[in-house]
Amino acid sequence: MKKGILLFCFDTEHTSYHRILERCVRLIKKNLGLEITVVTNFETFKRMGSLGSINYKLIQHEKGNTKLGKEWNNVDRHMAYELSPYDTTLVMDIDYFCLTDNLLQYMDTAYDFLIPDKVHDLTDRNTFGQRQWSMIPMVWATVFIFKKTQKAKKIFDMIKYVKKFYRYFNDMYRIASKNFRNDYAFAIALQQLNGFMDYDVFPFALATLPPDCKVIAINDNAVAWQYHDQISYIENQDLHVMNKEAVDV
Amino acid sequence: MDIRELKKQSDLSYDIAVAKRNALEKAKSRQILVYKEHIFRADAETICLIKTLSDKNDSFFVLDTNKNPVEINDPTEFLNKLIERNQESLNTYHQMYKTFSQRSE
Repeated sequence: MKKGILLFCFDTEHTSYHRILERCVRLIKKNLGLEITVVTNFETFKRMGSLGSINYKLIQHEKGNTKLGKEWNNVDRHMAYELSPYDTTLVMDIDYFCLTDNLLQYMDTAYDFLIPDKVHDLTDRNTFGQRQWSMIPMVWATVFIFKKTQKAKKIFDMIKYVKKFYRYFNDMYRIASKNFRNDYAFAIALQQLNGFMDYDVFPFALATLPPDCKVIAINDNAVAWQYHDQISYIENQDLHVMNKEAVDV
Repeated sequence: MDIRELKKQSDLSYDIAVAKRNALEKAKSRQILVYKEHIFRADAETICLIKTLSDKNDSFFVLDTNKNPVEINDPTEFLNKLIERNQESLNTYHQMYKTFSQRSE
């Protein structure tokens, strides 16, 4: 059984995602030690420095999605099943920093597909309270694991279907943001495919630093941030850093 | 009454409360244990359940975190792993908790 990690990385006019990727890859190598495949485009690939022994898949990414009026290249996640060379694949956002080996053990479960359905706001403000933004039980496509099985294939087929008719589903579930978001596409697909019943999830809440927090220090063990006049830090915990300026720290 | 001193105390209390909540969440994340391809929480409830069942039977069924049944054939090994993971995470939490106490003194 071949196990590995699939990362998607596409630079935009405003954000050098390849620089975030460098930190993400370094942490994966240190803490998870799994083989890595990066899905990227030629323009981004040319800007990347040497990341050591990793694999690349160059694609022509789909354009057109935006976030706060800026280019946002997040639409290709539905192709993870086809793009992954692994039997068991961990897919992560590159701004999810693995400061522990916690995710490693999930590569050895019997589950076809696992995704988190809870988030932990590290500033304790419940920034991501789902009910104020949509009518669907939320999942977080920041991190998920799948196996190359028929069941997982059907989940990805459903995600493709939801993506194709996203405007319809977006209205039906009264989702506040009108751009395409993988979190909602995955949540809708899982709910639809599972007959509107429960599905298998990770048992942990995804530790997340909201975008209005300024990262003031970051290394391979800890992250410190500022929110208004409050400075906090956390060490040895995996976390999703939503402020993309963290790469400049 | 010095209102600045009270404000400072309020800020400190808030900082500690948030840090404590984050540390507890970190401990919960670390308490997860994958055993026989299924996922369990190495918390007090699971440990007590396994201990109780193992007192009566050598083999039994329990539910994992997604409510799927798993047969446990070696309760001693499973219990040892649960306790090890539980104490590892709580030890880390304890270290962090001591820093909270020092800050509030």
